Amino acid sequence: MKVEKKKVTKPIRLYAKAVFTGYKRGQRAQHEKTALLKVDGAKNKDDGRYYIGKRCAYVYKCKKKTPCSYGGKSKLRVIWGKVTRIHGNSGVVRAKFARSLPPRAMGRRVRVMMYPSRI
Amino acid sequence: MVEEKSKEAAKPGTVRDGKPKKKKGVEVKVKKTPKPKTIKPGTVRYGKRKKVGEKQKIFIEKPIGGEKNGGTRMVRVKKLPAYYATQLNPKRRTKHTKNRFRPLRSSITPGTVCILVAGPHRGKRVVFLKQLARGLCLITGPFKINACPLRRVNQIYLIATATKIDISGCDIPKHINDEYFRRVKVKRAKKEEGDIFEQKKEKYVPSEQRKKDQAVVDKLIVSAIKKREDKKMLFGYLGSVFTLRNKMYPHRLSF
Repeated sequence: MKVEKKKVTKPIRLYAKAVFTGYKRGQRAQHEKTALLKVDGAKNKDDGRYYIGKRCAYVYKCKKKTPCSYGGKSKLRVIWGKVTRIHGNSGVVRAKFARSLPPRAMGRRVRVMMYPSRI
Repeated sequence: MVEEKSKEAAKPGTVRDGKPKKKKGVEVKVKKTPKPKTIKPGTVRYGKRKKVGEKQKIFIEKPIGGEKNGGTRMVRVKKLPAYYATQLNPKRRTKHTKNRFRPLRSSITPGTVCILVAGPHRGKRVVFLKQLARGLCLITGPFKINACPLRRVNQIYLIATATKIDISGCDIPKHINDEYFRRVKVKRAKKEEGDIFEQKKEKYVPSEQRKKDQAVVDKLIVSAIKKREDKKMLFGYLGSVFTLRNKMYPHRLSF
């Protein structure tokens, strides 16, 4: 979770919002290894090109508390991945995750980080 | 005819074909054989065996137990290798991790204000000082302004802004290098009381050395900022935090 632990700071967002629209697919067969992400505000190939290589994360909540990286336990879980290439002409982007995204993630938020930065 | 020839050549010490005769026996090499040496046909390895005075034993008799086992076995002194590579000396792929130095992006120059995009200081605007020997970037808040200390950061977590502070006059102490930042592993006493799996999370406390260096470097940077006309704005800028908002898209932003 990217929320600061300090008391008086507003949460900061350092990721682009994206939606998991579905898996890479032909008309009748889908390939779950690769996910398609529609990044907010990206409308064409050039926009999508910015995000290539960026790390992305699918964050979700669970019932049980599990240990998290900075210590302590949390109900949040993450599946990490990265944007591999653009998909089509309208700014949609392909991403591969450490484990394939679960189908219930379709239509849900995926975070596209701003690192590895190339600017 | 042939017999005569062989008789002549059979005299001890005679030279055959211009090269001295060698003693029979593949394993043993005579010490005083002058060069050039003829390789005896049937030699499996040339030049790799050590010159030994005695003949080395390949098999040794070892006593074994059991009534009907014959009492002894011939055992090899050196076991045969369990694995024979199909390709000797295979071409190893070069590892590129040793030399991890990556050249800096052209947008990051000493004095550039950068935005940290990951790590505990994410969102903060910091000043890039220089690239260290291993390729990482040395940055500082300065600490007084935004609580970001002297730190090493990979350039992939930095977004360079167009704002550049002139720190050409600033002489950053040379002892601040990769070694300086190296993590010190706390050596555990072998006989530890209590559970081995007991997690001892010792909170990081900056050393006095670090605090001193921080003050020195910060002073330099702050004085460089004060020379500028927009110093008030810059102090505020460095103290503030970068965050994305609605309708702010990273691919459209220019920093």
